[in-house]
Amino acid sequence: MANEKVDVVIVGGGASGLLLAAKLGQAGKKVVVLEMGPAIGLDDLVSSMIWSRRLKWGGTPVMSEGKNPVSHNFQSGWGLGGAAMHQFANWPRLHPEDFSVKSKYGRGLDWPISYDELRPYYDRIQKEVGLSGDHVAEVWRPAGDPYPMPPMKWTRQADLLAEGFKKAGFRTAPMPVAINSVPYNGRPACIYDGWCEAGCPTGALVNPQVTYLPVAKKAGVEIRADSAVTRVLSNAKGDRATGVEYYDKAKQRQEQLADVVVLAAFSASNPRILLNSKTDKQPEGLANSSGLVGKYVTAHITFSAFGLFEEDTENHIGMSSAFGMSQDSYVKDSHPGFGSYTWTIGVGMKPNDVLGFANARPQLFGNALHDFMKRASKGLARIGVQAEELPDADNRVVLADRKDEHGFPLARVVHSLDGNSMELFNHIKAEGERIMKATRAKETWSSPAPGLAHFLGGTVMGKSAKDSVTDSYGRTHDLGNLLITGGGLFPTIGGVHPTFTLHAHTLRTADWMAKNWRGIAA
Amino acid sequence: MTSTHRRLVLKGAALGALSFTVGGAEVLLSPREAHAQGVPLKVLTPDERAALEALGDTLLPGAKDAGLAHYVDQQLSVPPNEALLMARAVGVMPPYANFYRAGLAGLDAAGQKVHGAKFAALPLEKRNEFVEQFRQKIPDGWSGPPSPFFYFVSRADAVDVFYGTVEGFERLGIPYMPHIAPLKRW
Repeated sequence: MANEKVDVVIVGGGASGLLLAAKLGQAGKKVVVLEMGPAIGLDDLVSSMIWSRRLKWGGTPVMSEGKNPVSHNFQSGWGLGGAAMHQFANWPRLHPEDFSVKSKYGRGLDWPISYDELRPYYDRIQKEVGLSGDHVAEVWRPAGDPYPMPPMKWTRQADLLAEGFKKAGFRTAPMPVAINSVPYNGRPACIYDGWCEAGCPTGALVNPQVTYLPVAKKAGVEIRADSAVTRVLSNAKGDRATGVEYYDKAKQRQEQLADVVVLAAFSASNPRILLNSKTDKQPEGLANSSGLVGKYVTAHITFSAFGLFEEDTENHIGMSSAFGMSQDSYVKDSHPGFGSYTWTIGVGMKPNDVLGFANARPQLFGNALHDFMKRASKGLARIGVQAEELPDADNRVVLADRKDEHGFPLARVVHSLDGNSMELFNHIKAEGERIMKATRAKETWSSPAPGLAHFLGGTVMGKSAKDSVTDSYGRTHDLGNLLITGGGLFPTIGGVHPTFTLHAHTLRTADWMAKNWRGIAA
Repeated sequence: MTSTHRRLVLKGAALGALSFTVGGAEVLLSPREAHAQGVPLKVLTPDERAALEALGDTLLPGAKDAGLAHYVDQQLSVPPNEALLMARAVGVMPPYANFYRAGLAGLDAAGQKVHGAKFAALPLEKRNEFVEQFRQKIPDGWSGPPSPFFYFVSRADAVDVFYGTVEGFERLGIPYMPHIAPLKRW
């Protein structure tokens, strides 16, 4: 069934898709957003780590393989708002050198833009959605406007951990977060009850349901939930997208024709759609003349160190984000293992789920686990790391042999950490143990093996059609009216959480699209 | 949210209710209530239930009475994209029943081979010894998902039903502080 043709169809109702929809809607474009998941609302954000799993991926299964499989389901989202509905809201900026890793260090890839080109969009986003932080204390921060809100309050956990950092010779600062420390733009201040990962229904934490979804709706954007896009449709010549094919809630095949098609789905889904959109003209998949669709999947390497204190660390209050940060080790080649990383200091914790008390000591069971839970609920504290993994073309999304209910191959994600990543992890582990031992904790320990956070790359942008899938705006090199947004575009990922950068980059694309519409849609 | 509203929500949060079928009617019960009332399971067989409850009580004593089997079984009976299980978050391929069936079969088969009896029939000391083994390395006779991963997911389920509820928070002496309590089915 064909629907009325629109100016632009956006695939994916997450942070990137809804931001773009809002801006293009405000620019007068007729916009349809197709979201695979259900149309959840703020009333569905139940304060429970058990119920929070409804916000994790529930769509077409994604197969994860390799020596270090990415945690796709944990990172991605399900329902209107996408992964940003359960984001922790740590929002540091990338640093200038993160944009030129290849040209400056001879490793990885370069972004097609510099920090200076993205800076105005960081500044605009932080003003539009609201960030809390301390730009003076954050001595490593690149040039940018001061945060519009003061930093979040620290609990005893953060104070005790920061003391260890100081003793170990590290500077600390409040983590910049997309959470209201004070009322902002009609949204209330955070009350520090730590349910961020289960979704924040009060509006204190930035999620698309309280930021760009209302703007998009007001601008007349049509949102169609329960709409699973399977392919991008293209013309006979193979140089223009004509729309998308999708299956609605009743499992009926539909077509949505549009002048412009934007893939704003999760980083594993966009390559799958492109690879499944192959035609006689593009037998290797759409927009894949470079052969790089699906390549360069990257994730942040994570590590945690724990301490048990005799005093109450108040660890049950706070946010899912960190209280503090340190980037004293951010310089990529200043330590064993190349890459940047950010220390995160303290976090609000719950008893259960992946990052709860119980998994701080995963080897404990039986009465020993009960005993630990009682002690952890009073005195546990945690520091963590987001470390840079360099892009590797062998880390990739490919099509699996197994197919979905409509006959399209599933995405299979292959990911392993290389020797450099392991060297970096081992350095971080030693440093983290030293920091934690410098605190007053009576017991300290750390995670033995690297974890992975976020899911980036797979449709990287670049300057050349030979070594990238899109240009700096996310416009595919092969089809002038087919664009991609989101973290899948990132050629390198720095040592910071990606959501702020994802917003800033999408805003840049939205501005450019609105200004250059004729050239894109014609 | 006003403090009065918060208190009301907190009061309601004690249920942590899921939908169970009792006498042909859908009722909202906590897993602990469903266990206490002897609500029949929909998906797991009696052998699978016995293995899961024995494993749960070994991983976290009290998990059985907290309704571990009813929680898992109820979640296996709903579509995967409505499930609340840790299995979903950590990327187990749906249908999740296959994962539990294979893991519990592996547990019993390896128990039989290594210790001469199904897991539920082993004395507690042997169960502890066996868990200590298979959480680190796949034992002889095991089939299905890797035993360390099955340990991780099963242990998380036990922690969920025992500590992931308002009642569980109270056991630890920490306030639940919900915005929206887990009172009703989504």
